[in-house]
Amino acid sequence: MNGYTFPFTAVAGQDRVKLALILNAIDPAIGGVLISGEKGTAKSTLVRGLASASGKRVTELPLNVTEDRLVGTLDLSCAVKDGERHFESGLLYEADGNFLYVDEVNLLSAHISNILTEAVSTGENIVQRDGISYRHPCRFALVGTMNPEEGSLRPQLLDRFGLFVNARSETDIEVRTEIIRRRLEYENDPTMFLRKCRDKEEALAERISAASERLDDISVPDGIVQLIALTASRSCCEGNRCELILAETARALCAWRGGTEVNADDVSEAAKFVLPHRMRNDTSVEVSESSGSSQDTSDEENYDNERSENDISENEQTGSSTDKPENRQDNTESAGRELPLSADGIKTDKKKNGGSGKRSRCVTNELTGRYVRSRIPTGKCCDIALIPTLCGAALHQQQRTPLEGMSIAVRSSDLRCKIREKHTGATILFVVDASGSMGAKRRMRAVKGAVRGLLSEAYRKRDRVGVVAFRGEDAQVLLSITSSPELARRCMDELPTGGKTPLAAGIAAAGELLRAERIRMPDALQYLILISDGKANVPLDGTDPFGDALSAAERIGAAPIGTMVLDTENSYIRFGFAKKIAERMGAEYIRLDEVTGSAVEENVLGFVGKNIV
Amino acid sequence: MKQKAYFPFTAIVGQEKMKRALILNLINPALGGVLIKGEKGTAKSTAVRALTQVMPERREVRDCQFSCDPDDKSCQCDDCREKEEHEIVMRRMRVVDLPVSATEDRVVGTLDIEKALTTGEKHFEPGILAEANRNILYIDEINLLDDHVVDVILDSAAMGVNNVEREGVSFSHPARFVLVGTMNPEEGDLRPQLLDRFGLVADIRGETDIEMRTEVVKRCLEYESDPDKFLEKWQPEQDKLCRRISKAHELLGKVTCSDDILRLAAEISVSLGVDGHRADIAMIKTAMTNAAYEGRISVVNDDMKLAAELVLPHRMRRKPFEEQRLDIDSVFEMIESRDVT
Repeated sequence: MNGYTFPFTAVAGQDRVKLALILNAIDPAIGGVLISGEKGTAKSTLVRGLASASGKRVTELPLNVTEDRLVGTLDLSCAVKDGERHFESGLLYEADGNFLYVDEVNLLSAHISNILTEAVSTGENIVQRDGISYRHPCRFALVGTMNPEEGSLRPQLLDRFGLFVNARSETDIEVRTEIIRRRLEYENDPTMFLRKCRDKEEALAERISAASERLDDISVPDGIVQLIALTASRSCCEGNRCELILAETARALCAWRGGTEVNADDVSEAAKFVLPHRMRNDTSVEVSESSGSSQDTSDEENYDNERSENDISENEQTGSSTDKPENRQDNTESAGRELPLSADGIKTDKKKNGGSGKRSRCVTNELTGRYVRSRIPTGKCCDIALIPTLCGAALHQQQRTPLEGMSIAVRSSDLRCKIREKHTGATILFVVDASGSMGAKRRMRAVKGAVRGLLSEAYRKRDRVGVVAFRGEDAQVLLSITSSPELARRCMDELPTGGKTPLAAGIAAAGELLRAERIRMPDALQYLILISDGKANVPLDGTDPFGDALSAAERIGAAPIGTMVLDTENSYIRFGFAKKIAERMGAEYIRLDEVTGSAVEENVLGFVGKNIV
Repeated sequence: MKQKAYFPFTAIVGQEKMKRALILNLINPALGGVLIKGEKGTAKSTAVRALTQVMPERREVRDCQFSCDPDDKSCQCDDCREKEEHEIVMRRMRVVDLPVSATEDRVVGTLDIEKALTTGEKHFEPGILAEANRNILYIDEINLLDDHVVDVILDSAAMGVNNVEREGVSFSHPARFVLVGTMNPEEGDLRPQLLDRFGLVADIRGETDIEMRTEVVKRCLEYESDPDKFLEKWQPEQDKLCRRISKAHELLGKVTCSDDILRLAAEISVSLGVDGHRADIAMIKTAMTNAAYEGRISVVNDDMKLAAELVLPHRMRRKPFEEQRLDIDSVFEMIESRDVT
């Protein structure tokens, strides 16, 4: 089933995206393109339109693809009926020699993403599963689109894309008007619209194929080769893949403009597509150009880890310093001009993210989550992966007789169960001292600021935040655990302070809240952040305020909760109560000199990022 | 099977913006759906379910799992496309429910287990997205849906196609549906990417007018004491709306939009700095559909105002912890300042 697609040539604007795709159509060896951009900028439309313009197939890889359909598996009906083992090809086979398109590539599950990375880098698909042993070439141009707001891409997959291009909305009123006009016209009568565009589409296809044929005749002078090598080394890209792709791209550009010899302009134009996503660190352009110093190169090939911790630590390093989200606007504008070496989209999301979905992407035992692959069960199997089970059984059919009405005999030894992956966020609960002392107001403001900061990104990280405050005689849930900034704003509008310090009650209430939450969301990682000076003066039910607090802390320590104590004691004489609480809780202890929202948020992010269970 | 009785759409008091947004989507399913945001008890679900009775009838291929349109080859399923002649039935659009607990398999479709076990062959068993083709896909509390289910629904909504490459089956079928979601913003937000895919958003609040509130209670009591009688009483209103929708549907093809209006939409979007181009396109389409509903064949200022109100608020760049208020008055001023009629 393929419905009509909006024609490539009818898309107004987005010239750089178009060029990147065309270059790949001319020379598939470039290795695809990653299109990053905000929503609604015709990214997907252009990729889908590429099929008719290039004469190649665009095989789509849906996000929810399972491993068997991606790499191929045993042909089940053949096995059942004839008892023979045949390979049933998957999407990688279909994509060989064509385009493989992944929409929202940053949302791809870790396992599928690893398979894809491997296939791209080896150019071969090796299948060893379900009693099948098969290998076939799979060389394709990988095309991905992503919206950086939704999370970043695994770095290993990132530099497998030949080119990188940023898609932005057009700001010119005339172009925008034209976009609306064409869209209306298309929807009004697609058939007619396609007919109108046919000439242009054919002309483009011809120009592409002509350029493609001329590729081999295009010469690359020695000076240009040197320039390419120099460009690559100056931008601190690793390996030689960068140079090769730079050369291919420059050659394709030359072919596209109808030239016969690659010139310096081709190279600098190509660099704008080839370099941005390969530069290792997201340091600024000046640094990478001037020094060319060696960069952290450790994480090149280790893509076996499920959670990619490198990524996170890398992010944390760059965390606070340079570009805050607000600066992004300026960034964007400057990159629009001649700054071939910047990739603002990638840059910002790489750092801002603190690991985005990744920190929380975990294999889950629940029956929810996305099924990505199967395994032989250990113990009781209640989430059966049917096809792998049948494939397992099919191999033994010659020795078995199926029950009546069944075509296949399955035994318990054939059972395979599903492995599912799920995104879960962290649950961060603040327990804050709102009692009498001067610091209370400051603490509350700081917590408010931190909650605001955490929740403003919550839709992306799936984090949920709650606040318990204690003062007077009891603890109070100020903000029940939520991901809604709106709700948080309303609940934390007024923050009453003053009174005595029922520390034990506060800790106990938090423990209850988290326990209930564990039942509702068993996959979420929980964190408790206690902000207090630890000077308890209201007991829970006995007579010993501090002792009660210690035992409450101990109970928290026994639960699967990551804990941190931010000590706000700032008098000359220090009692160190908070530290004792922290020790009993098994918590990380930090003394806050400055009780501000950003200080709290920073510490929390650092802590959560570090303590992935 | 006798259709279950629902509270009549026309008897819902107030909530005009929500009602209008839903009606516009019936007239023009290409508008891209509605997200209804509001507190509990504001007739969100009632309104969506009640739509069933005012929906126009349309032609469908008989016995097609995907309710294909016999007259539009471009978005038929493979089976229908191969056939030259179709048997045709007239059916109303339907509201297809997607419960928040739905698993991905049920949503996108999966392997037919029975066939696999008895014949050893792999066949595709269609899921909720198949049923939703050309109908309304209704997700109550959409903000509580699992992320990965949201992703596939997004994907299908954007492409109009459901591509399945799972569990040994490879299948694709048309999935063009009007996505209607309801949510209570206090229970967490939707990701902006998903928000953007909704053509329209209607923010609703409980009526504050005492008269109106009294009327709400009165009608509910009346309905509960004798549903049949209540339905009968409202039938003429229902028929009237149904006819009006059908008429608007026919008129829609004739509605034109001046270049000046197109430019206005572009200018509004640029001045507000919304992401991407969906806002412009949705604004114009909504305005055109509203014109048709009002029985006009050209777009006027009022259409643009209504469209702006429904299309823009959720596409504003968000700043955390600030009321993401759209300065609708300034937009109205922009619209007023040009004599587009």
